[in-house]
Amino acid sequence: MITVYMLFVVSAIASMCLYYASKLAVKVGFGLSALSCFYAMYHFVNNMGVSDSFVLGGNFLYAPNFALTPLGNFFSFVVVFIGFASSIYGMSYAEEYIKKANVGVFASLFSTFILSMLLVISANNVFCFIVLWELMTLISSFLILVNDGKGTLRAVMIYLGIAQVGAFCITCGLLIIAYYAKSAEFSEWVNFSMPFTASVVTFALFLVGFGSKAGMWPFHVWLPLAHPAAPSNVSALMSGVMIKVALFTLVKFTLFLPLSTYFGLTILLLGAASSLFGVLYALCQHDYKALLAYHSVENIGIILLGLGTGIYGIAASNPTLAAIGFLAGCYHVVNHAIFKGLLFLCAGSVLHATHTRDMDVLGGLAKKMPWTSIGMFIGIMGIAALPPVNGFVSEWLTYQGMLQGAMGDGVIVRYSFTLAVVALALTGVLVGMHLKLYAVIFAGTPRDKKIWDNAKESPIGMVLGMVILMIGCVGFGIGANVIVDYIMQAVNSITVSGYDASLGSTAIVSPMGSYVSTPLIAIVLGSTMILPFVILAVMKANRTTPRETDPWACGFKYSSRMQMTGGPFTGDLRKIMDWLFKGHKKVVSHGYFSPVEYHNHPQDIWWGLIYNPIIEWCKKIADKIGIVQSGYTNVYALYILIYLCAILAIGYFLV
Amino acid sequence: MQTILLMILQVVVIVLVAPLFDGMARKLRAKLQSKQGSDIFQTYRDIIKLFKRGRTVPECSHWVFRWAPFFLFATSAAILAAIPITYNQNMGYGAYSDIFVIIYLGALLRFVFGAASMDSGNPFAATGGGREQMLGVYVEPVMIMCLIVVMLAAGTSNLVTIQELVKTGAIGYQIPSFAVASIAFLWCMYVETGRKPFDLAEAEQELQEGLLGEYAGSDLGLVQAALILKQFAMIGLFLTIFEPWNFNNPILALIIFVLKAGVFYVAAVFIDNFGPRFRMTSSMRKNALAALAISFIALTLYVVGA
Repeated sequence: MITVYMLFVVSAIASMCLYYASKLAVKVGFGLSALSCFYAMYHFVNNMGVSDSFVLGGNFLYAPNFALTPLGNFFSFVVVFIGFASSIYGMSYAEEYIKKANVGVFASLFSTFILSMLLVISANNVFCFIVLWELMTLISSFLILVNDGKGTLRAVMIYLGIAQVGAFCITCGLLIIAYYAKSAEFSEWVNFSMPFTASVVTFALFLVGFGSKAGMWPFHVWLPLAHPAAPSNVSALMSGVMIKVALFTLVKFTLFLPLSTYFGLTILLLGAASSLFGVLYALCQHDYKALLAYHSVENIGIILLGLGTGIYGIAASNPTLAAIGFLAGCYHVVNHAIFKGLLFLCAGSVLHATHTRDMDVLGGLAKKMPWTSIGMFIGIMGIAALPPVNGFVSEWLTYQGMLQGAMGDGVIVRYSFTLAVVALALTGVLVGMHLKLYAVIFAGTPRDKKIWDNAKESPIGMVLGMVILMIGCVGFGIGANVIVDYIMQAVNSITVSGYDASLGSTAIVSPMGSYVSTPLIAIVLGSTMILPFVILAVMKANRTTPRETDPWACGFKYSSRMQMTGGPFTGDLRKIMDWLFKGHKKVVSHGYFSPVEYHNHPQDIWWGLIYNPIIEWCKKIADKIGIVQSGYTNVYALYILIYLCAILAIGYFLV
Repeated sequence: MQTILLMILQVVVIVLVAPLFDGMARKLRAKLQSKQGSDIFQTYRDIIKLFKRGRTVPECSHWVFRWAPFFLFATSAAILAAIPITYNQNMGYGAYSDIFVIIYLGALLRFVFGAASMDSGNPFAATGGGREQMLGVYVEPVMIMCLIVVMLAAGTSNLVTIQELVKTGAIGYQIPSFAVASIAFLWCMYVETGRKPFDLAEAEQELQEGLLGEYAGSDLGLVQAALILKQFAMIGLFLTIFEPWNFNNPILALIIFVLKAGVFYVAAVFIDNFGPRFRMTSSMRKNALAALAISFIALTLYVVGA
């Protein structure tokens, strides 16, 4: 474990040394981080079920120690797996940044970012955790700034602002637990007693704190701003992995608390809301990276459905339910990391080739960029949970977990679980609409001929990064049986149950007794695929080479402007969901012979409902407080004196 | 192994028989509209003729469009294979015959449909594709609510087991939530079969079978066969869960199933013929809301323990 961390430190320092050799920094810097990630993957897979710890050498204020539980090992594996693919991708991708930024610094920050996430996972005391947590936020905001574009600064400010509020809540929550447990070391937080009110307050603080970092609704507003602004390999890490770290910590710290079943149900309902609102907002985006960012909100929701079931199971002392819930949540964590990583890498590849983030001017790119198009197709199949790709398995497990929960007693419990199932199903079908992401960018005719002519397939490194994740997508789908065994090692460290998720050699089984076998699905799909060929052969069908024509346009001359774009494809949905989108409709007409411009920009109503009032209020308060700041040093010194006296007085008389 | 053979058998038999029922439905529809109508083997002749014709494809399309007919046919056949007709005794095949597998294979079908319609570059095809997705949004919540009730009553999502439980009377219409769920599920089934009141593509000449607009020749033949198969699969899903009474012998079971499904398929013509047409965003929503309400009642009945 310490070797893994050292490798990342070394690769960060080595890339920093290449400050003046940009070309070399691209290959060596990202190459080194790829190597470290590869070694780390090997390490974490081999030691999945093992607990490990070390004490940092030297003596700071105290000797900070780090520890990994099996669950921590699992999350560390997810981090380095996506880190590996995006480092390899970065070896070609970062060449674009040679002129824009210092690649040595970029590569160094990249390694440090992965390291900071690993350390957050293993930090073992309050102080250390908070420092590393803030470090992770800061490094990621630096990485967003590498892509110094329009609106980047605003995105970073909002990101930091929300992260700040989150970190504040987390610190308060951790201090409350530390107070009752009489220790700041996580390892000593066992069997302490805590009043129920304090537990509820702490849980609420954690929900806000970790939820805001994870992008849970309604704290999701920073995601669609920050992720599109970052370089694509960084978006893959931020969206695929960083938000998972927040989920890991949410589970880790919630489990320290005396639990109530309502904690689990709260997480479940927030998960359902996240998944629905996330997917609905994703549907009406035209910026494909923002669309993917909203998808993270949705998938965080799905993961929370699983984890909420797990936490409910522990609170209700039903270990089987807890096991299936955590299994589903963890499985979706790794799945989402893979397909979202893949989608962001593909989006980066499209951006690299076309230099636009507006999907409505693209089109027909599949012929120019075959690998990217296949990657995107598989990624979308994964995100839409279509069998036999990986998303299906984790959604199946999530469904089974929630059904198991819905069999419990009590009207509220049953309603929560069944409605969460409906929300998940609705999310599933809405995600299907996201074929528009593939279809508008890669299918049909090019909408802008110039962009299409200049587009070409990305260099080998980027393709390789995507291929690794494509294999991951299919492998984690078809090899579900093996993966489940690994994840169960982590789950069993939380709660020991008699439930074994793998059945026979190929199938996975839920505690209800339903089971499904992904290899069998693949086999049946494969064999039914033979049928149409048999039919064609038996019927002696006419399979001469088809004539290539323009699409039929009712007798008019076909123009690529007739083609469907992303907006109208989801138009019906936008119409019936207008109460949520509050779109600004505007139709501009410039006379009879020029095209009419339609604008319909949906907005995130939560920004107006929650965030804007708070920001306005803060500004007002700041204006009022401004009087105090006169600019005279003497007055400031006076303030400090008064404050000191007050503190002394309070300390003397009250405590 | 035996079960896989039985799966293949049931798919092949239904592939062969399904066009006959389609022909019967067309004949009946013609009679209801006081027309003469073609004879009941017309659908076979149509498909054979399509297979003999040459094909055109839009220049801009790539592998998604060109391979879609095969994908669609394979997926419909896979859904059909997941319905335990001939292997209704073999609990072991719950590994494939799972309710969620069927739902997500249906989603796969819809996904390929939509992607192909967009890839064709044809504006009407893409409009049809978009509406097909929208239809899914209306149907899916209703369908899943009905199925939740069934799955929770049976305590499993394994279709073979559910069928057996209903057949032996362990669960069934004596449970109020199950009975109410069957009503809403019937609605879903007819929507999913793509019959006219719910087939919103059928409005203008060019929107007719909108999303197939660019297919020709054997491609079109395959897609149409795939759609008929999907209709049978959807009816089959309803029959398996709510009316599973059948023989245990695979061959007899298959015959009975084809007859039962055929009756439902042909009867759908009445809805087809006398039902009004709906607009996607307004009336359809009201229509869907009614079904949603019924399924919600079923769910509530389960929740309160009835």
